[in-house]
Parts: sequence; structure tokens; C-alpha cells
Amino acid sequence: MTTFLLIPGLISDGHVWTATRAALEAGGQRPALADVTTQGDIPEMARDLLAAHEGPLVPVGHSMGGRVAMEMARIAPDRIAGLALLNTGIHAARPGEAEKREAMIALSAREGMEALAERWLPGMMAEGRAPDPEVLSGLQAMVRRMTPEIHARQMRALLARPDAAATIGDFAGPMLLVVGRQDQWSPIAQHEEIAALCPQAELRIIEEAGHFAPVEQPRATAGVIADWAAGLPQAATGKEPAMSQGDRIPDTPLFDRRRANAGYELNKMAMGLSTPEGRAAFLADEGAYLDRFVLSPEQRAAVLARDWAEMVRLGGNLFYILKISAVDPTPIREIGAAQAGMELQEFLDTRLGKVTNG
Amino acid sequence: MAELIGGLGTSHVPSIAMAIDKGLRESEEWKPFFDGYTPAQEWIAEKKPDIAVVIFNDHGNSFFLDRVPTLALGVADEYRPADEGWGPRPIPTFEGASEFAWHLADRMVEGHFDPMLCRELDVDHGMQVPMELVFGRPEAWPVKVVPILVNTIQYPIPTPQRMWELGELLRQAIESYPTDEKVVVLGTGGLSHQLQGARAGFINPEADREWVAKIGADPARYRAMTREEYIEEFGSEGAELIMWLVMRGCMDAEVKTLHKHYFAPASMTGAGMVLLENAG
Ligand SMILES: [Fe+2]
Repeated sequence: MTTFLLIPGLISDGHVWTATRAALEAGGQRPALADVTTQGDIPEMARDLLAAHEGPLVPVGHSMGGRVAMEMARIAPDRIAGLALLNTGIHAARPGEAEKREAMIALSAREGMEALAERWLPGMMAEGRAPDPEVLSGLQAMVRRMTPEIHARQMRALLARPDAAATIGDFAGPMLLVVGRQDQWSPIAQHEEIAALCPQAELRIIEEAGHFAPVEQPRATAGVIADWAAGLPQAATGKEPAMSQGDRIPDTPLFDRRRANAGYELNKMAMGLSTPEGRAAFLADEGAYLDRFVLSPEQRAAVLARDWAEMVRLGGNLFYILKISAVDPTPIREIGAAQAGMELQEFLDTRLGKVTNG
Repeated sequence: MAELIGGLGTSHVPSIAMAIDKGLRESEEWKPFFDGYTPAQEWIAEKKPDIAVVIFNDHGNSFFLDRVPTLALGVADEYRPADEGWGPRPIPTFEGASEFAWHLADRMVEGHFDPMLCRELDVDHGMQVPMELVFGRPEAWPVKVVPILVNTIQYPIPTPQRMWELGELLRQAIESYPTDEKVVVLGTGGLSHQLQGARAGFINPEADREWVAKIGADPARYRAMTREEYIEEFGSEGAELIMWLVMRGCMDAEVKTLHKHYFAPASMTGAGMVLLENAG
């Protein structure tokens, strides 16, 4: 099952994700909280998270966490089933940025986190709107839970951030961009920049929110993320068999409505082989026969490659797709072995080996 | 009134049909499997039923996913072997017991089972194989048939409990049919097997043996199990075993298990049979 990895930004923790976490859980998803307080740079944060969290991941990153999320997608695109980026950006360090950040590092080192919170947080809130006292005190408490060392480490990690603008366009998976309408730190334009490189991205603007949208407008932000998560295609779950999500018996893809829908045309194509005309057409010109059906490029490729596991993953049901083996003979046990990911002999030995009679 | 003479549970694995077609009945691989059916063949030859009610699932041959009847009942005069991709097999057409089937349709609907009624229907290995296993390869089938088809492919499939209740209703329908015909009921499918997913090739001979040992004498557990438990214990396609419950449900609580047989693997499937008679 896919994990939604919630990555906080600068001197932040799980407080940022309280509502998001609850909304994902309510939607039957599996959220987990990332720790990015110990690493010296963003690539190290990304590698640590990839190592610490198994299986397919959907990194959900806020601000600096968004940078980490993008770096994860660069390092291990196969494991990233989707990206949700909140209040973030892809631009490189700007002139004067280093000086400003060093000044803030000096402030927290000299005067402590309380002083830093006082100085730093107001600029993070929605512009032109008095901050909700409860929201503000929650964020202040969060900053106080951090240390000047964490602050310095993360600030320098940000200064040395990888060039996400050069790589984010390579990520073709589902992407959600979320930004507060009044985010002065990472304005809407920065998210439009990402959307320009990733046409699949969905950009959602949270009203009455600034840079801490998930805290300022927890319900709205969490709702946007949970809705997007619920709509993620099953095929986006990366390494795991795309359609096994929701199956309670391991490695057993029940032919439920989701698979029946996903595989309808694929199975219909195979059903067509139960007539002599269909078989003759398939044999005469397989490509032209397949063109009669609305197959996805993946389904078409799986049929052409006789990739049985992939056909099943894409909604094929054995009783239908087996008819392909009537036209292009393949023993059923070989089809079984291919799905089990075994050589035929190993499959026979380990699963069907022992003859028992009487 | 018509009489229920017995119930047979049996696998309907298509490779059994292929083995017969290829003349492998006496081969080293298949002989032990087919020999296990000899007592049932002798029993049926002696009892000479007039009608066989065969409960099976279509395997994507007569029904496509455009319409999936949870329950379908054949009321036709004849049923031809389906083309499953290799062309129709050279076996005789089945003669339908359409009068009895219509009676059954009435009784089912009155009893709140609402099947799709099929007037023209080809039947696949789900019906062919059991008939060949108990009647061999005659010139013409010595019984008329009534096919009852259960959706076991696309979820939701019906529950085991519902299958049992269908069996109870079938019993009443048989015993309220005003002829003196003899009826045998064949519940088919299974035993353990899985064709789909990374667990493909899963069989569970231990559970299968317990099934053939207990389905007659002590079926309570199987009646109470969930669909998911069937899949867990017998594999995704092993859930076909719920169709044996129709057969078991139409028998008395007390039955004699006249014969049982188990063989694995038949291709990728645990295969076997039981032959039951009412004890009373
Ligand atoms: Fe079957």
C-alpha cells in the first residue's frame, strides 16, 4: 500500500500536518510523518526518507518539504506514486538570499527560538489579514520545539538546494500544487512555474491563507489533499501491483468493479477471440485487430508482449485473456509462472510440485 | 413426484477435457485421476437418472462483462458446447429438460430467487467436464440437463449462505415436480486453485482433502464461511466451491458419502469429487 509521507518545512513538525493526516486516514489512506531535522542537505533528507519508508510513496511536502519531495522524485521516480507540493518553489537561491538567511541563523543562535518565531512568523501569515491568535500561538509553540542547530542546518540545506527546475519536468506522475492566496513567501506564481513544467499538475489555491496554508486553513487544505489522494489512479502506486490496493488477500487481485472497469476493453478484445473470425483477424494483423478496441497504450503493449502479469495488473481477467493463448499457444502453467514471477520449473516445484492422489 | 437420487460434487477443470480430447485417459499422468471417477460412473449407470441439474459458472464464454447475471437458469431445449477460443469441442449437444426448468423458474421466483432465464445458451467446460466425468463420452447424453449458472468471476459474487439456500429451494422444486423422473444434482467447480496474480498456482491439498471428507458429513463450517475465507483457503478461483453448496443444500442433513476422490495437481488445480446419497 502506498504511504503518504508528510514532510514538514523549515523548523516545522507534525503540527503542520495535523488536519491533513486526519483527512488522509479518514479516506483510508496511510499517512506517515517525515523527519528532516537531522540531515545536512536536501539530497540527504531525500535519501533518508526513501530508506526509512518502504514501498510506493506519495511525498506531501510543505515549503522546504516540497523541495525534499521533488528531490525524492528525482532520485527514485519509480517509487513515487505522486507528488503533493505545498507553498514551495523551484527557483535557485536568489541574490542576497544567503545574506538574509545567515542573518536569521545568527538571530536564532544569539536570541533563541522564541525571538526567531517573533521575527519570522508574521511574514509567513496571509498578507493583509490579522493572524488568528490560535493559529499563531500553535506555530510559535512549534518553532519553540525546534533548536537553533536545526534551524541553522535546515537554512544552509536550503541555500545549497538542488536545482529542482532542471529536473522536476521529468516527473510524469500525478502532481498536486497547493498555495495560499496570500502567500508572500512562495507566491502563486512560483507554483504556476512548476505547473508550466509539469502539465499534469493540478494547482489548487487556498483562500485566506499564506505560507502556512495547512495550518491557517487546515480543513480546506487537508480536504484538497485528501480528495486528490482519493482520485489517484491505482496505476500510480508504483512498484506494487497497480491494482492490488484494497485487496485484503495478498497477491490475489479480486476481479472487482475497479478491475472490471479498467480491464473492460482488454477483456472485450480477448473475448473477440472466441469466434473464428476474431481469431483469424488477430492472426492476420494483430495490430489492426487490437485497434478495434480502446486499449490504453500500456494494455496494448502488454498484449503485444504477451505479458500476462501486466495484463492482469491492468484489469485483464484470466478467463478472457486466456483466449490469447488459444491463438498464440501458451500453456496455462507458463502463464501462472509468469504471474508468480518464477521460472516454469521453480513454479511447478514450489507451487504444484507434489502429486497427491486417492 | 420427481425424486432426488443423489448429489455429486466435482471439479470441472478444463485441462480434464483437453486430456480426454488428446486421448490421455490412460496416461500415467491422468489415469489415477480418471480412475477415481469409476465408482461414480458405475453408480450413475445403475441409478439411471432422467435429469441432471448442473450448477456451474460460465468462464467468460457465454456471458461477457457487458451483462453479468449473478444467477442464470437455462430453460432451453438444447445446449451446444461453447467455443472457448479453441473451437467447440466435439461432444454431443445437451438436451435440455425445459419443462422441469420452467417449473424450477417458477419455484425460484416464488422463493425469492430471481435468475436470468436463458433460452439460447452455449455451455462451457463448467458443464461439459462434469458430464463427461460421470457419463463418459456417449453418442448422446443419457440424461436431460438443466444448467444453473452462478457468477463466480466478477465481484460481488453471491454468498455461500445464499448458495445453500438455493439448494434447499431446488430440493423443494424437485419434489414438487409432478412426474416420476429421477434427478441428480451436480455441484461443480474447484477445488483449490488460483489463476490470477502473483499467488497464481496456489493450491491447498490439505484443505481440499478436508473438504471432500467433510462436505457430506459435516458441512456447517463451509456453509458459514465468508467469500473471502473461501478465497483465502482455496484460492481466487477456488471460490467456485460455493457451487457445491447448492448441491449439498438440496440433500438431507444426514447423508451417506458413497465415494470421494482427490487428486492434485490437475494442471494448476486441486481436483476431486464426492458422491452423496440421502441417509434416510
Ligand atoms: Fe471453473
